[in-house]
Amino acid sequence: MLLLDHNPLKIYGDLFSYAFRDIYNIADIFAKATPLILTGLAFAFAFRASLFNIGAQGQFYLGAVAAAACALAFPQLPSIVLLPLCALAAALAGSLWGGFAGFCKARFNANEFLVSMMSTYVAVAVLDFLVRGPLREAKGEYPQTDVLAESAWIPSVIPGTRFHWGFFLALAVAMIAWIILWKTTLGFRIRAVGRNRRAARFAGMNEQRIFIAVFLLSGAFAGLAGFMEVNGVQRMVVQGFNPLLGSEGIGIAILGNAHPLGVVLSALLFGALKVGGILVTQTSTIPSSIIAILEGFVMLFVVLSYWLQHRIAAARARRRASEGGDSR
Amino acid sequence: MILSGLFFRAVQMSTPLLLGSLGEVLVERTGVMNMAIEGIFLLGAWAGFTGAYLTGSLLTGFVCAMLAGVLTGALYGWITVYLKQHQIVTGVALNILAAGLGIYLYRVLFGVPLLPLTVESLKPLPVPVLSELPFIGPVLFRQNILTYIAFLAMPVGWWLLFRTRTGLILRSTGANPEAVDAAGINVERVQFGAVLLSSALNGLAGAFYSIGYLGLFSNDMIGGRGWIAFALCFLGNWNPLGALLGALVFGIADAAAITLQTSGFRLVPNEFLIALPYILTIVATVLRTQFNVPASLGTPYIKESK
Repeated sequence: MLLLDHNPLKIYGDLFSYAFRDIYNIADIFAKATPLILTGLAFAFAFRASLFNIGAQGQFYLGAVAAAACALAFPQLPSIVLLPLCALAAALAGSLWGGFAGFCKARFNANEFLVSMMSTYVAVAVLDFLVRGPLREAKGEYPQTDVLAESAWIPSVIPGTRFHWGFFLALAVAMIAWIILWKTTLGFRIRAVGRNRRAARFAGMNEQRIFIAVFLLSGAFAGLAGFMEVNGVQRMVVQGFNPLLGSEGIGIAILGNAHPLGVVLSALLFGALKVGGILVTQTSTIPSSIIAILEGFVMLFVVLSYWLQHRIAAARARRRASEGGDSR
Repeated sequence: MILSGLFFRAVQMSTPLLLGSLGEVLVERTGVMNMAIEGIFLLGAWAGFTGAYLTGSLLTGFVCAMLAGVLTGALYGWITVYLKQHQIVTGVALNILAAGLGIYLYRVLFGVPLLPLTVESLKPLPVPVLSELPFIGPVLFRQNILTYIAFLAMPVGWWLLFRTRTGLILRSTGANPEAVDAAGINVERVQFGAVLLSSALNGLAGAFYSIGYLGLFSNDMIGGRGWIAFALCFLGNWNPLGALLGALVFGIADAAAITLQTSGFRLVPNEFLIALPYILTIVATVLRTQFNVPASLGTPYIKESK
């Protein structure tokens, strides 16, 4: 920022004061956080099993396309039927796309990091193909779908803002993820596989099945993020929209210590960064890529803070050990 | 004619994959994955373009690209090798940062030009006599200098890794860091050095896209090619010659996609041709399961406390 002849501190100040300036922007934080909660959960959930789902972006795109296709196919249905239908389609599409990586891992022991990463690029191609071909708007002008019928819009919590009820669905999903991980035998197994794969195998757990289950669920979370963005905010699918949602989810999951509650809180922080960042770039000459830079720095500082925590804990343990030695 | 054009392009497109995967092989042999590879490709592309545009010299551009790689690599290496933090997480952070930085710095320097700024990219450098050979000549010996260097680097890398003392140290560090430590060699220094070396190669690879081939910079020009180079290291069994073979296959896939798109071939939508290299990576990853993974890959080496 110094390079652009701006005072960085003033910009940071602006960033946060803008984000909380009025009700519209505060509401926008929640709107931005909604899909981030879900892609964050997608990475966090797999991370608990020591699996790497790097492909949330692709699962998100597939979910978005499925939700849009569903809404465009049945515009005459009432909201109460259509919205759950779209959500289900999105979750299912994301789940299958993610499950493929899990299946490759389970059946062929293929590196899930690479498979999920590469499947994102394939998903981008699928999305491009669909919005330029079968799902293209009737006008045929831009690579995007038609605007969805109003019955497929998720209603706003505060009228006139983009803060929609999907946020609470995302909270509920975070809750479900927490229940699955810590209150069910499946969750126990997932965490056992994550802690020590060998021990879990000796305890008679079928790790292959866990791999597939984890990726199916993780993909469903990311797919739902697609439903949120399409039915809640965009109301259509545009080629290449929200291209960083997947990697931001990874940052959020790490920042939130791969815990659903932490994911929700860090998603809100990233949401605020985005809202403030967009406003700063609109009111100054700073390019919008500053948001990605800030997010990158936040993640780096989180990584460094883990190191610091570790150092402090180690120092404390050492002190305790030496004190214990003295008293003996 | 079409066939020799296709193979010419395949050889050309495999250049950055060669450089990138060679770097990744060398660093992973010491037990560290360079997960910042995609970001370093992009920053290399940016630095290469900027250096070449501002000074008018492609050589300066390539040097800048390697410097940008080394700087990013130093940050990555410091966090993962010395601070022992998670390699994948650190890599993701750096990749997001690089994605923002690339376009940000471009805007800072050049604003938003109406037409993309261009530099003259590397010219072909025909090898005397050999370039006159039928078929092989136009395919192999009318490439640019960086392509020749990349192809020669692979056997040199193999020799370095398997026939020299340095290579022995690199390989032992990945296989058994305790033994290397016991032999009085500083494990962290070996790993950090390998990260820097691989990052320099990655930066150079990235610059190939901007100034070696297209002559311009755009933020989405890498589009996962760094990850493909990363995958080639696995698929080539942590051997530079294996990676060479893989890079050629991917070069052909890339070239076929480009050739088919421009030839008006309409049987398959263009989008799926673009996805071809990525699909190929998935298929190869699935089929290729028996690895001799360096034993300590991905786990930071923590010296036993005294």
